Amino acid sequence: MPLIVNGHTTPMPDPPTLEILLLALEPQRPYAVARNDEFVPRSIYHQCELMDGDRIEIVHPSAGG
Amino acid sequence: MQDTLTLYGRSFTSRILLGTARYESPALLVDAIKAANPAMVTVALRKQIEGGAKAGESFWQILRTTNRELLPNTAGCNTVKEALNTALMARELFETDFIKLEVIGDEENLQPDPFGLVEAATELVKQGFRVLPYCTDDLVVCRRLLDAGCEVLMPWAAPIGTGQGPRNPRALRELRQRLPDVPLIEDAGLGLPSHACQVMEWGFDGVLINTAVSRAIDPVRMARAFADAVEAGRSAYLAGPMPVQELAVPSTPEIGKPFWDEAARFAVQETT
Repeated sequence: MPLIVNGHTTPMPDPPTLEILLLALEPQRPYAVARNDEFVPRSIYHQCELMDGDRIEIVHPSAGG
Repeated sequence: MQDTLTLYGRSFTSRILLGTARYESPALLVDAIKAANPAMVTVALRKQIEGGAKAGESFWQILRTTNRELLPNTAGCNTVKEALNTALMARELFETDFIKLEVIGDEENLQPDPFGLVEAATELVKQGFRVLPYCTDDLVVCRRLLDAGCEVLMPWAAPIGTGQGPRNPRALRELRQRLPDVPLIEDAGLGLPSHACQVMEWGFDGVLINTAVSRAIDPVRMARAFADAVEAGRSAYLAGPMPVQELAVPSTPEIGKPFWDEAARFAVQETT
């Protein structure tokens, strides 16, 4: 089962860590990440091993009230 | 001594917090920020929508040029878990401990969920956040938020984006009287500068406005109008308004008015 990144199915990176996924996706900076609804601090991207079907959310600064 | 707004030990000369949403263009937002001269500007976190990368980047780059203190929000969060994780992402991304905490309990009027709010505030304070909770005007809920460690409260005037102005003036004024030392920022539902002026006259410490400015026909002019109104209201509060009287009190002296003979009047009184 692939990953779901911001609602879109995305192939699992190799090796399957969040750091490698982000290197492949190159999201616009700055951004922050949640995995399965839990915040993942930047400092542990390299330790964050991804599992089949994980939901990754990448968020950016946006207008807000 | 300069009159300043102090939030968690940070002093600001402005008493306006300005939202950055719903402007026609980032350029208009920048001009409105210049006109309102806010202490802080609110921001949010969102996933990039298809083809929206450029707009998002432009918003962020242009906002950074304004050099304002940022107040990230947890807008749209319906659960404590969502709010906590949004706050954590915001802290890392915007590099600030300040968070405008929203936990919404009703989708129709975007009313804060007081139970979720207290729970989320308790946890965020423990994690070192400086929490500004968007709350209702209920005194006991406000007390619970203070017990949780919040040093600022942001009670609503009316539902977000409605522009109705203070719906429950009595509750808001009571809140001011009962919590005299807590910075109170009126958040949500203000539509006109007169609404902002009114709450400032009651002794509120500041206002947070967004839609009232961004959806005005001329947002920059409206931003300036709000800045003037907040300043006028604050000055009026500090000046100490006169007590309201039940009966008329002539402002022009009675003594010495023409066609009225004081001596004759007293003479008549003595003979009767």
